[in-house]
Amino acid sequence: MDTRLDGIDDRRGGGDRGRNRGNNKRRRDDDDDGQHYRPGPGDDRRGPQRRRRDNPPPPRRYEEPAVAAVRRRLVKIASSTKLPEDEVIEIAEYIRDHYDEEDAQKEFFDVLVGVVVEQPLKIPFVAAVIFYANQINADITVEAMKRVGDRLQKALKAGQWKEFKLLLRFFACLQPVFEDDGIFTFLGQLFDTVVDLQSANENDVVGIELVKIILLTIPYALASGGRRFHEKARELLDSTGIVAGNTLPMEAYIHPYDSESEEKVIGYHSVIGLLQQQLTAEAQSGWELSCIPKFDVDAVRKKNPEGTLPEAPATYPFPTFTIPSPVNPGPKPLFPEAYFSLFADQEFGTVPRTTEIASSIIRDAIVDTIELLDYNRDEVAKLLVDLDCYWSLHTFAKRGIPFDKFRESVGDKVMYKSEDMVIDAIFSMLFKLPTPEHKLVYFHCLITQCCKVAPAAIAPSLGRAIRTIYKSIHVMDLELTYRFLDWFSHHLSNFEFRWRWAEWVEDLQLSNLHPKKAFIIAALDKEIRLSFAKRIRSTLPEDMHPLIPKRLDEDNSPDFKYENPETPYATEGQTLLVQLRKKASHDDIQQTIDQIHDQAAERGITDVLVPSTDAFVTAICRLGAKSLSHVLSCIERGKERLLNIAQTSESARRQIVASVIEYWKDQPGVAVRIIDILLNYTVLAPITVVQWVFEDYVGAGGALAESWVFEVVFNTVAKVSNRNRQIVSARIQQGLPPEQVEMVEGTLNRDRRGAREMFGYIEDTVRGIAGGANDRLIENETNGELSAEESRLIRAWGKRWLTVFIRKAAVEESVVGEESVEAKLRLLAAQADAEPEAMQLQEANGVAKAENGDEDML
Amino acid sequence: MPRNTIDRLDKPSTYAMSKKRRRNRNRDDEQQRDQTPEFDDKLKESTTLYVGNLSFYTTEEQIHELFSKCGEIKRLVMGLDRFQKTPCGFCFVEYYTHQDALDCMKYIGGTKLDERVIRTDLDEGFEEGRQYGRGRSGGQVRDEYRDEFDPGRGGFGRAYADEYD
Repeated sequence: MDTRLDGIDDRRGGGDRGRNRGNNKRRRDDDDDGQHYRPGPGDDRRGPQRRRRDNPPPPRRYEEPAVAAVRRRLVKIASSTKLPEDEVIEIAEYIRDHYDEEDAQKEFFDVLVGVVVEQPLKIPFVAAVIFYANQINADITVEAMKRVGDRLQKALKAGQWKEFKLLLRFFACLQPVFEDDGIFTFLGQLFDTVVDLQSANENDVVGIELVKIILLTIPYALASGGRRFHEKARELLDSTGIVAGNTLPMEAYIHPYDSESEEKVIGYHSVIGLLQQQLTAEAQSGWELSCIPKFDVDAVRKKNPEGTLPEAPATYPFPTFTIPSPVNPGPKPLFPEAYFSLFADQEFGTVPRTTEIASSIIRDAIVDTIELLDYNRDEVAKLLVDLDCYWSLHTFAKRGIPFDKFRESVGDKVMYKSEDMVIDAIFSMLFKLPTPEHKLVYFHCLITQCCKVAPAAIAPSLGRAIRTIYKSIHVMDLELTYRFLDWFSHHLSNFEFRWRWAEWVEDLQLSNLHPKKAFIIAALDKEIRLSFAKRIRSTLPEDMHPLIPKRLDEDNSPDFKYENPETPYATEGQTLLVQLRKKASHDDIQQTIDQIHDQAAERGITDVLVPSTDAFVTAICRLGAKSLSHVLSCIERGKERLLNIAQTSESARRQIVASVIEYWKDQPGVAVRIIDILLNYTVLAPITVVQWVFEDYVGAGGALAESWVFEVVFNTVAKVSNRNRQIVSARIQQGLPPEQVEMVEGTLNRDRRGAREMFGYIEDTVRGIAGGANDRLIENETNGELSAEESRLIRAWGKRWLTVFIRKAAVEESVVGEESVEAKLRLLAAQADAEPEAMQLQEANGVAKAENGDEDML
Repeated sequence: MPRNTIDRLDKPSTYAMSKKRRRNRNRDDEQQRDQTPEFDDKLKESTTLYVGNLSFYTTEEQIHELFSKCGEIKRLVMGLDRFQKTPCGFCFVEYYTHQDALDCMKYIGGTKLDERVIRTDLDEGFEEGRQYGRGRSGGQVRDEYRDEFDPGRGGFGRAYADEYD
């Protein structure tokens, strides 16, 4: 075990570590012996502003009750200026002294488990409390292991993998108190399960998840257990190698960058593949595991030299856990994971390289912290800004060292820049494929919050991240580009739309088909949606002003094309608008529409419904231009006619989409919303929208560069996918009556087929563009309308679209496909057999909700 | 479920809770506090948020653009001046699910829209009439007596309007 840490001053002391010189605020002066709340003369270290934003201390002249003290101390562990080892021992002594207070004891264990499953950065520290407690009152350790173990067993049974991993980590940190091989025996059993899963299904993802957990547990077990277990770890690593090195078919779809491109920011690494390599390397260099905080086993003894302690602390057999068979894959669909980093492969190493184990260990803890505490972004931001507190001394350089001074200041030591690691981790979550763990807006607000907590330290890192992404945006996965766009515009809207656009001005010369130019155009549109045109223009350098047309400045509604007498059917169009405004009768409106039909027939138009639909929908848009509520009520009133149109003719159906888009061409955001409303009213079918996009709008493929086109298709596909998932969860229920089974399955089969057709259609079309086989594309190439460069860009867009929608299709297949649904039903049946009592109870209550399947397991 | 290790941002505000307490107090004459759980239950399943501190100029489209980041919006009701029928700086956003409403509390409450920090609060559900300001001059009460100038919310408080004119 490592020796005591020295150089505390450097660690959390008075130094300016980037919290914008607010560090003195954080300095904890509570000596944790109860004196903290006593008033005292000369106790001015605290200062008037002390930790105002943290839990305020109770009023003075008031002894903090033990129940509150144990919570505060455990929750705030390691975040003070104290030496971790001293703090940890003090907490152990404190609970020993208050162990006979029932409520304090209960609170202690509740909070202990809470910290383990909610604040992963603190696990080594709370585990150390329990480790030292074993030497002063072994009852505490026994009870802690029981409490954490119970929760672990539940998590294992329910397939709550993240929670399982963290609870297991707690045990790994206690490795020295276990007899024999301790945790390694259990890790071996887990691996046997992986082998079973893999031999049953070579594309199994639960096994992958388990291997990840095993690999992430090993370093913690070795950091605490020491040299004695090196051989065990090696053996385990030898066996995980095959699984970790295996590539699943799904992995082909989750590359954040085009792997063939030289300009990618990072190549593809699977998380477990990387872990395996890093651990193997670490094994060769003697398991230094330098970033994990370590504690001196003899620290308590050194503190009590009189020998009042028992000779040898108690040791225990590792608790027995049951691994259920079949393994419950858990409530969330599992996918292989890619390791993403913006900074890892950059020249100046501010974050661990992908070869270093620290990259995986620290990333894992940051990511879990962010995921678990999504209910309080303020606290997450504080934890992240204090990241260096939770790792061993010298893992990180001082906070907030500017990038250009970083190398010079760190010298040849291996030290990381905590701000870069935080930003890197958040972006890895924002860019997680196939699906992020939380709504993307969580990551948006978390970044905003970090910028607020430590602007001087975080903002420059963020700026470098943005530039790094922008530089390679043309080879990034298109869905990720879209996520970046959405984040970027939202982020700027929280910071007065400040961005140094000037540095991108030279890209304005590029063709609108170029991904960089397309990004700039799209970003401005998104900014305007959250603000207004004039305001956004005022934030731009003059060179960019032409990108925001002057006509957007006026608060007027877009022009109504029928006001121009040149427009065919101008009179009728205007009449329709008046009639709609006056809520004219169905017959009156029909009369006008019939007039259009007559004229159209005279003009030799085959489907007369197309021009009349155009006039009708455009009039609705015009009348509803004032606000979304207005257009909603207009649609509501015209709903019957719209439904009729949609049922009568395919081209008229598509004309509905066309008219909306045409009317709102300068503000595609509004058009996208209206399309969404029409989909909800089932006036439009998803396939209609998609067909309009590809057949009537995209043409030779240039429109694939327009961000809102992607948005429309993406939203439409998401609607279809969500619905299918809902149907599946309606199916996966205990005790669904047979007639309902039949009904649900009927719906599922039909909608699943619909989704497959839609995906197939999108895939075929964009594949044609990507491969240059699209007729219109070939035509425009031959007649010189498109230059060779433009044609190349269009094909590249096709390729990027193709990647996204092939992935979407594969993901949906893996969640709602027959195979997956059958597997879920089998598991449901197995659970019902295994827990007949729980079933009876459920039936007795008359509750049979879809979620209950998982809850029962808890 | 044991308590979380840190506070949650998706709890009803003290305003919503004090409203509940006021309500309970009024009923105290007739019945015990514990017997009026409807309000609690309503918030537990609430899909609606009250959104405050908007600029009078913020549009439905802007609100949609931001709030749909937390889920599909079922209904958006703009708060209006009782007399002018113009936006007066608040709205109700209704989602399809309670979870979306909670996420909105966590991820959007306290962030900016139209360059103002907005406030979100779980709401018991919109009812006709609640879209109108309850201040004397038709807007929200807070805009009657504000003595600092807020260009996004009609300048100075309306009660002082004469003095400043």
